[in-house]
Amino acid sequence: MPESIPAPLIIDTLKDTFREARGTSTREPLGWILSVPDTHQKTVLAALDKERALRVVTCATEDEANAVAAGLWIGGEPCALMIQHAGLYASVNTIRGVAMDGRVPIFYIIGLLSREKDRDLKDSRHSMVRYAEPLLDTFGVPHARLEGPDDVHRIPEYYRLSRERRGPAAVLVGLETI
Amino acid sequence: MAMKPEDVLRAIAAARGDAICVPTMTTSPAWRTIAPDDLSVGCTGFMGGASSLGLGLALAMPKRRVVVFDGDGSLLMQLGSLATIAGARPRNLTHLLFKNGVYHTSGAQEIPGGLTVDFVQMAKGAGYRKAYAVTDLDDFKRRLPSIFTEEGPLLVELHTGLADKTPMTDRGGLAFNQQVENLRKKLDKVG
Repeated sequence: MPESIPAPLIIDTLKDTFREARGTSTREPLGWILSVPDTHQKTVLAALDKERALRVVTCATEDEANAVAAGLWIGGEPCALMIQHAGLYASVNTIRGVAMDGRVPIFYIIGLLSREKDRDLKDSRHSMVRYAEPLLDTFGVPHARLEGPDDVHRIPEYYRLSRERRGPAAVLVGLETI
Repeated sequence: MAMKPEDVLRAIAAARGDAICVPTMTTSPAWRTIAPDDLSVGCTGFMGGASSLGLGLALAMPKRRVVVFDGDGSLLMQLGSLATIAGARPRNLTHLLFKNGVYHTSGAQEIPGGLTVDFVQMAKGAGYRKAYAVTDLDDFKRRLPSIFTEEGPLLVELHTGLADKTPMTDRGGLAFNQQVENLRKKLDKVG
């Protein structure tokens, strides 16, 4: 059964991920979170408000967040996008143009709002839950599920993968964070 | 009489120093002729993204000026970026809006609201530090030094006519991914 992941665990993992990406550089902030607020990850966003090592830029749309990520990448800054599955659907053309055709490595943390604890994604009653993985598959975007605290190692893994393949990579947050 | 976009771009090229420039749509063909092989990256393949691309660059490189050459039709596609930029408060971002009232590239169809849309008021309302309109080339040239040094985010609405070329009539230029790689390499070298 999937479990909720505590916000501090996700934030600490992101900090470690960005620290590794920066190597010897001591520049601050450690990394950037580009967020279009997601109910599913609201505890993480609330905790990020108090976090000094990471800077959050709240974007009005996921399209913007993708383009901001491209500018940060050009300037050598590590970042992650925290969005909801609905935002994934809303920004498909920008993901194609920026992350895929533009070969900009973008790492997405996607909240699966309304995902049922007792059902697999493909069996969800909610289309927004069911379509997330098939859409990512259609676009050839590698993805992994964060089904509990034991899966947070997927964060650095898929962040690195986005850099290695010069394109998008995503993790899907199964249950609402705590 | 509206300014010629090419004249505006030539004036920018003469004054921009080491600023990073982000052209999009109809400023792209002229800019690659006026300022070839420089510190620029065009917003190509995701219309409306120039302002946000510029924001990312400005946040990543706070000691360097970033100048976005946006279009009115383009900005309308991601109008929320005005608030996103204002919220992020990049002091080094200049947002130049080439206002011609039409979607020139796709055949010059009028944008919603046409020339009556007031982007200066929108930028001010979103929280830009400063926003104003320029209708005359000499006035623009006079203001250029401050446009590159004034604390941002700053939006300047430029009342221009149509460019000689569009991305459809002049399809040259590097793909976005090549532009990204080139600029990354240049910035890595010069810092």
